[in-house]
Amino acid sequence: MKKIFVLLSTAFIMVLAGCNKKLIEDPKSILVPDFFKTSQGLESGLDAAYAGMRSFWGNQNLFTVTVIGTDGFMRGVDGNSDINLYSSNYTPSQGTISSIWKDAYTFINTCNGIVDNVPNVDIPQARKDQILAEAKFLRANYYFILVQFYGDVTLNKNFQTAPTTSATRDKMADVYDFIIQDLKDAIAVLPASPKTSGVLPGKANAAAAKHVLAKVYLTRAGSSAKQADDYVNAYNTATDLINSSASIGLNLLPDFAKIFAEGNEANNEVLWTVQHTSDIAFNGPNNSGGADNVLNHMWVPQYEKRPGMIRSIEYGRPYIRCIPTLWLVDTAFKERVNDTRYNKTFQTVWYANNPDPDEKGYPKWPSPLPPGAPAGAVAGEVQFHLGDTAIYMPGYDVSDAQIKAAPYLLIPPRKYSNTLSPTMFKYFDTKRADLNSPSVRPVIVYRLAETYLIAAEAAFMSGKITEALQYVNAVRERAAFPTGDAQAMDVTASDLSIDFFLDERARELCGENMRWWDLVRTGKLLERVRLHNKEAAPNIQEKHILRPIPQSQIDNTTTGTPYPQNPGWD
Amino acid sequence: MERVNLSPIQRASTTFKDEIINKMFIFISFLFLSSSTYAQSTVPVAGFVTNQSGEPLAGVSILVKGGSQATTSDNKGHFEINAPANSTLVISYVGYISREISVGNTPSSDLSVQLIVNKNELEQVIVVGYGTRKKSDVTGAITSISEQSIKDVPASNLASALQGQGAGIDIQRSGANSKPGATPSILIRGTRSLGAGNSPLIVVDGIPFDGSINDINQDDVSSVEVLKDASSTAIYGSRGANGVILISTKRGKTGKAVLTYSGYAGVTNVSRDFPVMNGTEFANLKKWAKINAAPADYTGLDDPKFLTDGTFSAEEVEGLEIGRNTDWQKLVYKQGFMTNHQVGIAGGSDATQYAASLGYFDQKGIYPGQEFQRFSVKASVDQQLGKFIKVGLNSLNTFTLRNGENNNPMAQALRANPLVSPYDSAGNVINDYVPGNANQVWNPLGDLIPKAVVEDRKRFGTFTTLYLEASLIKGLKYRLNAGAEIRSDVYGNYYSAKTSYRVNKGGSASVNRTGFRTNYTLENLLIYDKTFAGKHKINLTGLYSLQQSNNQSNSFDNTDIAADYLAYYNPTYGANLKGSGDYEQWDIISYMGRLNYSYSDRYLLTLTMRSDGSSRLAPGNKYHAFPSAAVAWNISRESFFRNADNVFTNLKLRASYGRVGNTSIDAYQTLGSLSSIVYNFGTVTTTGAYPTNAPNPTLAWEYTSTANIGLDFGLLNNRVSGSVEVYKQFTNSLLLPQTLPPTSGIPNQIVTNVGKTENRGIEIHLSTVNIQGKTRNSFTWTSDINFFINRGKITQLANGVTSDPGNQWFVGKPLDVIYDYQKVGIWQNTAEDTAAAKSLGLTVTGPSSVIGTIRVADLSGPDGKPDGKISSTYDKTILGGSEPKWEGGMTNRFGFKGFDLTVVAFARMGSLMNSSLYGGNFVNTYQGNYNNLKVDYWTPTNHQNNFPKPNFASSNPVNRSLLGYFDGSFLKIRSISLGYNLPQPILQKLTARSLRVYATASDPFILFSPYRRAGGIDPEGTGTVGIDTPSTWAFIFGVNVSF
Repeated sequence: MKKIFVLLSTAFIMVLAGCNKKLIEDPKSILVPDFFKTSQGLESGLDAAYAGMRSFWGNQNLFTVTVIGTDGFMRGVDGNSDINLYSSNYTPSQGTISSIWKDAYTFINTCNGIVDNVPNVDIPQARKDQILAEAKFLRANYYFILVQFYGDVTLNKNFQTAPTTSATRDKMADVYDFIIQDLKDAIAVLPASPKTSGVLPGKANAAAAKHVLAKVYLTRAGSSAKQADDYVNAYNTATDLINSSASIGLNLLPDFAKIFAEGNEANNEVLWTVQHTSDIAFNGPNNSGGADNVLNHMWVPQYEKRPGMIRSIEYGRPYIRCIPTLWLVDTAFKERVNDTRYNKTFQTVWYANNPDPDEKGYPKWPSPLPPGAPAGAVAGEVQFHLGDTAIYMPGYDVSDAQIKAAPYLLIPPRKYSNTLSPTMFKYFDTKRADLNSPSVRPVIVYRLAETYLIAAEAAFMSGKITEALQYVNAVRERAAFPTGDAQAMDVTASDLSIDFFLDERARELCGENMRWWDLVRTGKLLERVRLHNKEAAPNIQEKHILRPIPQSQIDNTTTGTPYPQNPGWD
Repeated sequence: MERVNLSPIQRASTTFKDEIINKMFIFISFLFLSSSTYAQSTVPVAGFVTNQSGEPLAGVSILVKGGSQATTSDNKGHFEINAPANSTLVISYVGYISREISVGNTPSSDLSVQLIVNKNELEQVIVVGYGTRKKSDVTGAITSISEQSIKDVPASNLASALQGQGAGIDIQRSGANSKPGATPSILIRGTRSLGAGNSPLIVVDGIPFDGSINDINQDDVSSVEVLKDASSTAIYGSRGANGVILISTKRGKTGKAVLTYSGYAGVTNVSRDFPVMNGTEFANLKKWAKINAAPADYTGLDDPKFLTDGTFSAEEVEGLEIGRNTDWQKLVYKQGFMTNHQVGIAGGSDATQYAASLGYFDQKGIYPGQEFQRFSVKASVDQQLGKFIKVGLNSLNTFTLRNGENNNPMAQALRANPLVSPYDSAGNVINDYVPGNANQVWNPLGDLIPKAVVEDRKRFGTFTTLYLEASLIKGLKYRLNAGAEIRSDVYGNYYSAKTSYRVNKGGSASVNRTGFRTNYTLENLLIYDKTFAGKHKINLTGLYSLQQSNNQSNSFDNTDIAADYLAYYNPTYGANLKGSGDYEQWDIISYMGRLNYSYSDRYLLTLTMRSDGSSRLAPGNKYHAFPSAAVAWNISRESFFRNADNVFTNLKLRASYGRVGNTSIDAYQTLGSLSSIVYNFGTVTTTGAYPTNAPNPTLAWEYTSTANIGLDFGLLNNRVSGSVEVYKQFTNSLLLPQTLPPTSGIPNQIVTNVGKTENRGIEIHLSTVNIQGKTRNSFTWTSDINFFINRGKITQLANGVTSDPGNQWFVGKPLDVIYDYQKVGIWQNTAEDTAAAKSLGLTVTGPSSVIGTIRVADLSGPDGKPDGKISSTYDKTILGGSEPKWEGGMTNRFGFKGFDLTVVAFARMGSLMNSSLYGGNFVNTYQGNYNNLKVDYWTPTNHQNNFPKPNFASSNPVNRSLLGYFDGSFLKIRSISLGYNLPQPILQKLTARSLRVYATASDPFILFSPYRRAGGIDPEGTGTVGIDTPSTWAFIFGVNVSF
């Protein structure tokens, strides 16, 4: 009995003794915010701040709100009707609008975490400066997206780790000042060019930062926060970059077609890209969502529903989110002899690719043969074979009789539809793993030709007509390569107007995720959408010049003053 | 039937106590009757005593009324007695209603006596936290569910078997999932927490249980006690807030070895098909969708252009021509199968008792490849060591295999085009997109090709408890409880390239997840029992305990696996290998003291104080104290009450108040966390980290205070018994997951201690013996009824806000509400409606015209009145919530000539349910790209007011969520069971103690359900009722035999 007693008491005491060390949390599989106070933490944070850019450039959300619903592109058959038609169903609860807002603030906080913690981490000063400069470049870019869409926004300058339930909107002017300061700080430290030795693809560089800074000045000049010297600053910053470009390995490519050639994304005209890779584990979810680059899908029409055609890697996955407006293809791109850009931007021919040996999906000549049928046409025989032209859009009108007599599907502009229209192919990707996979190509965000157009527009707006002509004609002359007459491309002072610059940008920067901002900056959104986008024309209103503040922001701002909505959206 | 509810601690003493009681009975009878004259002649009477299920009862007291003769039944329920002619036998047994049987003047050798369970037997011992108590001494609100009730419903898991069996216990299928191996959710007295869990604590044989309800074989369970009020749960202070379910497993008992076998087998079938369109209906919808998107393009439904302009694919055109109508559901469903076998042996000597069992359960689902199997082994030993020490051990071991737990072909089958065939001309499954569905729907039969989709879960677990009990000095006991639980879980997935899972992704994919969990509990208890001056009974319990849980898991996945047969086994042969891991550990340290005091068995008092420390909370806030007090008054034991004896057998009033806590949140939330994200700079790949969860350095206990008043009553010799409970709960410092404004930079929800909720409710239990048959041949009818109402509401939210639409929380409203626009019909193509829509700023022309779409009410505006605009800020309202108006269950048992019929019904009335079948999934889009639910939709010529127009230009109807809200009320028959108990003469020939054969229909009818009337299948389910495995009904045959 006694023995047992002793035994039990010992057991009891032993259990008691081990206890005070318990109850302390010691995580082993998660990283906590204090990780940012270490050198590895800063590096990981910086990588994440870059990765956040994939939620914008290449993502369907940014594409939707910059490309469609403009004068250039309208809704395709599978397009988002509400937001692109500016219908009454486009509300502050719209997911696209909320995602852009949320993603930007998440990664701004990541940048803030880096900026705030850099001074306290023990790493060499040069590395500190570099990390800080890259973080500021990225932060400026995130804020620039926000301020262009939403106007006054919340300006977070510091790392937030405590849960906050209140928020206020800061003046657009303050946000612009902050962006400009970040970019100036970045320019002072960043390597000069993406071509500078040691600069990895996709990394921030001074050339890209100068381009953004010029664009920021130009954009602010068109906003209610405009400063008197904005156009001058935009011009000076852009020309500074252009003038130094040769010395830092940058130039306009001779051939417009090579800029977006697959695999050539690191060409000398490119200032900054958002990266993607064929290493799928590092490319995104690979399901055409989230961080994936889906620009390859966006313009692809329903070619596969036409005779002789099946879905292929080459022709892409028919998301058909948008089609060009008639104005874009017929008016803006009217010149096709000296200006080679239409044919280097749009696909108008599809070759039969259905390998079915019985040619089941192929059309047969009717009996009797239509008048004008080509020689060799036999009633009841297949009209064309594998590898022959299956769909062709000549770009000019043809008669119904000609359409009937053509062996292939002949589509003049009056027959363009929201299932099949000329197709923008800048982002096509033939190296992706599967028919339906998203793109593995880096997304070109900024390129030197736009710097020229910024310089030209800024020059024009500040009365420097000669300089304006110089920069815009440089871009236009290049467009003639190789078959056109470069001199014939030149414009003169009388051609210049703000509308001209918009037209030129439509040709040069077609589909490059910025058109909506261009229209807002120039105050032409309502006018041009009403003129050229026939579906959106009846719906667009003054309030659409700003995107609505997401309902999730308003609903979850539960303390302090209610978060103000943009005019007309509540 | 075994004596109910015995924990090891009490077993020895109760069997001993029973013996004493029996002996006392005999002794008292003897004293009482000694003066009377002995009867002149006696007749020998022999027979059997059984319970309602025909199982023999051993140790039953049989004595002659007014005489001295007495005996007890043996192990087989057999008894023999010499009784005076024309006398009456009194047959009584603890836990059962006593019977009187007249004896004639001729010998009788096969008197069969059936005893009915006494639902309010005061001597009955029930399990409470850290011990057992006589029912008469209980001061808290406890629902006891007997082995019998569990057996009534042969179900795939214990929780399903408990459905409808107790007041205040709300058991529902999670998300209406009916897959084999799916576990229901259990709520006790409603929900109170928004952020932390609402699941009750499960305690098996005295030790907190961390496994799944699937890890328990219900055949091993001898009783379930549900602790509901704070006084009962406070001793589990840390995690008692959501109620505690105490599960006791069967132990051996003194006596000859008893061998039992129980088994059943049967089939399951889909209870109803999902209502989708047939070929013609779908073709018309598709045409209308095109017409509504571009009215000028078509002349009407008969426009021949439809057949040539690409509206219909070549296969659809063919289908239209030959009148094809593919019923995809029929091709997917098959008959399911369910079987269960259990062999057990139990027995023991005075010093040693043992029990062991083997179990096997197998359920095959209604889709090919769905299966759940459970193998279980249980063993327990209780051993007396010398005079003062007793030790015991119980080990529950289960191995489960689950296949196809996520495979749900419905997502494809319901959308698949009814006009086209799933087979090619050779009769093979076309393993590709279903033609005519916009390359979005994969042939669902492709996913069902063997090995195309592999989802295997293998789970092994052992749960072993042991105790040592030492009597130190008279009245003082020390007890050590130790329990260890180890579970290992391996879940492997493989999806071959040509399946719906890999659509748009390319290549095959595999995932392999492994988890390893350990959980141990150590408890030191000191128990002191003493009676002073004959009237003052004191029981003191002191506890120190420590629990630690550790969970570790890893997962790796890859794509493009080299060969299908490699499945998920070797990631080397594939591409894009990724991996992740998770580790979690938490501890709880507790100190507890409890005093039970009773005066003269009439006035009872329980005081409890527990202090718990949780690792999951912030430093400084880790410890919290949980006090409780309860009083009870056995009114029927008062001398003044005696007069009412004939009516009231028992009357007891109880009241309790106490506080319990809740920390069921994930560990490490006080620290905040980062998320990983991948990127590349050219060929240099990186994994970055960015903040997604904010740290919370002040995270503290959420706690609930409960006041409970209860009344237990028994009338007419307990033929009518029951209880009524009224309670109110106040939950404070709610652990709330809060969505922050995106400008906070923190995208994920974070948990904070803000807010309060309240729950109040009433619970009624009633057990009646409606017709009390004397023997097995007479008609018997008993009923158990429970009825309960719970009303929960939020009383405070963070920072004093009264409305948090982002999280759908509103002060003064229930916790789970649906907040949305109010549907008032469909915008009609009338001048009046067009004008009204225009005035609201809605688009009335073109493809996104609102005409023909769902119309919602302009309820309010910035000034508190309708402002002529529809805005999500002012025009959404609370439409209802998941909390029912009332719930109840009813079990009726009928017996006649050895037959028994049991009907279990339950009802859940007055909740608003959300059906994603109608309101969310891709099967009610009206776009015409996929097959659609069969509804009477709006067209320019059909001006109905319920369902919107088909529109090819719109991938989802605006405000479609409003189509998903239904009255979720239902009344269901949970099971109907018809059994037959073989009579003793036959049993004797078979040398069996008992043998019962039965047939059961599970979930045979839904008697009332507005959702079902509207076309849905089954409204039962937590959260959103989706298109997962539809509900099934089963028909099984079974046998229970013991030797």
